Parts: sequence; C-alpha cells; structure tokens
Amino acid sequence: MIWVGALVQGVLLGGLYALSACGLSLLYGVMGAINLAHGDLAIVAAYLAIIVIPILHLPGILAFVIVVPVFVVLGYVGQRTLIQATLDRGQLTTLLVSFGASIIIQNALLELSSADSHSIDVGSLVTASITVNSDISIAVLSLAIFVVAVVTLIGIELLLSRTTIGRLIRAVADDREAAQLSGTRYRHVFGIAAALAIGTVALAGLAFGMYSSFSPTSGSTRLLFAFEAVVIGGLGSLWGTLAGGIVLGVTQSIGSTIDPSYGVLAGHLVFLLVLAVRPSGIAGARQAA
Amino acid sequence: MAAPLLELHGISKRFGQVVVADDLSLDVQPGDALGIVGPNGAGKTSLFGIVSGDLTPDTGQVRLGGNPITHLDAAARSRLGIGRTYQVPRPFEGMTVFENALIAAQQGGATRGRASHQLAADVLADTGILAEANRPAGQLGLLQRKRLELARALATRPRLLLLDEVAGGLTDPEVAQLVAIVQRARASGAAIIWIEHVVRALVAVVDRLVCLAGGRIIGDGVPSVVLANPAVREVFLGTEATAESFAAAGLVAGAGS
Repeated sequence: MIWVGALVQGVLLGGLYALSACGLSLLYGVMGAINLAHGDLAIVAAYLAIIVIPILHLPGILAFVIVVPVFVVLGYVGQRTLIQATLDRGQLTTLLVSFGASIIIQNALLELSSADSHSIDVGSLVTASITVNSDISIAVLSLAIFVVAVVTLIGIELLLSRTTIGRLIRAVADDREAAQLSGTRYRHVFGIAAALAIGTVALAGLAFGMYSSFSPTSGSTRLLFAFEAVVIGGLGSLWGTLAGGIVLGVTQSIGSTIDPSYGVLAGHLVFLLVLAVRPSGIAGARQAA
Repeated sequence: MAAPLLELHGISKRFGQVVVADDLSLDVQPGDALGIVGPNGAGKTSLFGIVSGDLTPDTGQVRLGGNPITHLDAAARSRLGIGRTYQVPRPFEGMTVFENALIAAQQGGATRGRASHQLAADVLADTGILAEANRPAGQLGLLQRKRLELARALATRPRLLLLDEVAGGLTDPEVAQLVAIVQRARASGAAIIWIEHVVRALVAVVDRLVCLAGGRIIGDGVPSVVLANPAVREVFLGTEATAESFAAAGLVAGAGS
C-alpha cells in the first residue's frame, strides 16, 4: 500500500512540475526561445508574493490575484523589448541573455533579501489532508496545485485551439514569415504568447512557494525539473508536458520511497533514459506511431 | 494623373557579391497585369521580397499608391493591400485549410466575425478547395497547396497580387485551372505581378512583360515584343526548355529551332 501512496504523491507532484514546465514549453514552441531564467522568474514570483501579502493583508492563497497580472505584463513588455531584441540576433543570444538574467536575478534576490529560506504562508492549508486509509493520505495543497495545473493546461489548450489569438499564436509558431504575409503582426502575437507563458511561470512560482520553502538560488532546480518534464513529455505538446511532469513526479516519489536520497536521482535517470530511447518524448513517440 | 499603384525607385540589393537588384525602377498601374521572366538568379523572387517587405533594399524606395512603404514590415504591407504567394507554398501545416484562409481574412483582409468567415469561405470556393476546408493543410498535395497559397493571398483582399511561379510543377490542365483563378482575381480589380517560367500560362493573363537579368531590367513592354528582343532571347535561349516554351506559346517564331 505504501507504493500506491507514493504513486498518488508522485502524480500530484507531477502537476507542480507540469505547471512549471508549460511556460518553458510555450516560449520554445512559439518563438524558439529557451529561457534559462525560467526557474528564477518563478522564484521572483514567490518573493513578490511574500512582499505583497502583508502589505495588502491578503490571504496567502490569493497572492496570485496580484502576482500573475504583474507577470503577464512583465511577459509582454519583456518580450517586446529584451526577448525580441535577442531573438533578432539568433537563438544563441537568447540562451546567453537569459543565462545572464538568471545570474542577475539570483544575485539581486540575495542582495535584496538574504540566503535564508522563505515560504508563502497559506495557514492551515499547508498541513490539511484527506485521509483515504491508514497508508494513504492526500495533501489538500498538493491536490489543489494539481487541479490548478490541469485547469491551466486545459485553458491554454482551449485558447490555442478555439480563439483567434490562439490561432495566430499557432500560425506564427508554424511560419512567422507566412503569417506576416497574411497580415499578422508577429511581434504582438509573440508578446501575447510570452505574457501567457510568464503568467504560468508566476503560477508555478506561487505553487512552489506554498508547497515548499525557497531561497534566491532555488530557481536552478526549478528550471532543471521543468526541462526534464518538457523533454520527457515531448516538446510542443501541452498534454505531453503534463504527462512528462507526472512521470517525473512519480519517479521521484517512488525513488524517495526506496531511499529518501534517491528521489531526485531517479528523476534524472528517467530523463536520461527518455533522451536515449525516445528523444522525441512521450507525446512525440505517440505522434510518430 | 493619379500616382501609380506601385513604384520602385532606384532599388539596389546585394547579398555579398551577388547583386539581386541593381538600381532598379518600375511602375505598376492599378489593374495592370505584369509578368516577370528571367533566368534563375536574375533577382525575380528577391524583387518580390522587396515589394512584400520580406527584404529591405540597400538603397531606393518602394511606394504604394504614392505613399512610401520601404520602412514597413510585411504585415503592414499586407494590410495595405499587397498579397503574395511563395514559390514553394508555405501553408500553416498543423491548421485546417479554413483556418489558413481565416487568418489571412482577419489579419490582412481586416474583416471580423461573420464577415471574416464568409470571406475565407469565398476565397476557398473561388480557388476550388472549399471541399478541403476541414482538412489539415499539411495533408494537401501540390496543386491543392498552390490553390491554398492563392486563397490565402486573395483573402487579404489585395490591391496588388504578387504570384511567384504558381504554375511550376503542375500539369497543363492544372495550370489552366490556376490561370482561370488568376484571371478572376484580375477581373475583380487587383493588379497582378506574376513571376513564371511557364510562359504559356503567363501570356494568357499578362499584357506587359518585364525581363530581369542580373538584377536589371533588360526588357519591358508587350510580351511578344519583349520576347523577340535579342537581349532577352540571348538570356533565355541558353535553356532549351524555355525556348520550347516560347515556341509553344507561339510568341517567338522558330525560337525552338
């Protein structure tokens, strides 16, 4: 029964990873930008939450009301200025600039805060759980994060498939020049896609900040897990990203059950295995079948 | 007198040592149907790039309806009424045929809601692929891709339609079908500039022919006169296929001999 418990915890943890990965997947899928500051931006969102919560006397769980809109605007403006400027100079420039941004963010956070760990206070929610039986209990916060992840992914999928802006995002992702010939202002569309991606980064950062403690350097691990979820799931597929997140979460959870020090290692090993056997990932393999 | 629809003035463009436009000037009047011929590497497609906004000229100016548009990007030019097809069709492969046309109708064609759906359906019907509306564009064959490429350009409601070798790689009956579509577009008032190696298709539509070589205009006028021009023949007759094509079109007596 302990394995069933580990499996359930792993699936729920996978929701957090998928939420974290979808912004990375979107930015790469739409404009070919690999954002190495992805994890650090998530941590900035968590820091922003612990700043605004006491000022506005907000319950911790409602921090997203302020933080997500701020990040959506940051995503649009950041794309139209910094990211677009780097894209115009080639993919490697985007990689290097986002790496630089990552270092600047980590050091700025260290300077402004300290190396101490923090977490977003969500009151009794952090310990609330649903007991299924003596071996299995489900943390309410983990379940809530999983639901938010699934709803976010469904929302993005619907937006991409059903709306005018979603259609434009798919068009510029497919062929930017042909989209322009059809009259599409691709920079504006890129901006909206980045706003969406960075908005989900904020959600992921808040979820992580509620679920766990964070410090200025926590972003690197967030980035690594997000990358692993994207690669395991297959680039360019949001459902693949969810599947990738769940595979990573379950592997880590089962690894931790065998030995607490094996959790992260087990995740890395599955990631390497997928890279070696199915480099196109779960969704990629399904499309090829 | 009203300004020409399109004016190219002193356009030069080079990629390293390769000159694709050399102090090139050209006017196109509203409703004109202009054909462009020339050997490979003459600068034909680059000229389209300069007009549509994909390429920025090193020097010179592009004007549409008397207004300078050299600094505008391809999206802005599309919205001003310049439609273009690519030599190798570039549909949005993961989207349906209808979605492909709808994007052009909404963005370049500046229509909204029902009007945009109607315009997309109209251009798909006009180009003969309405029956494929719900198919992913990536599944289309060459002729259908060319039809969709045309449909997408027409959905932007162009005043000036740039056609880049729409007849290439097709059979004679298929070419005839595309020529009919282009003739309808012209009849609806759009000016047309058409780059084509299939001269027979070209002369069925155009009333003016420009021959480019080395980024310069070496012939400009009535098609039969331009094709009889010794400089044009010298550029062309090295390629037997083109010579045969001239003869088949009845344009140059004995060109194939």
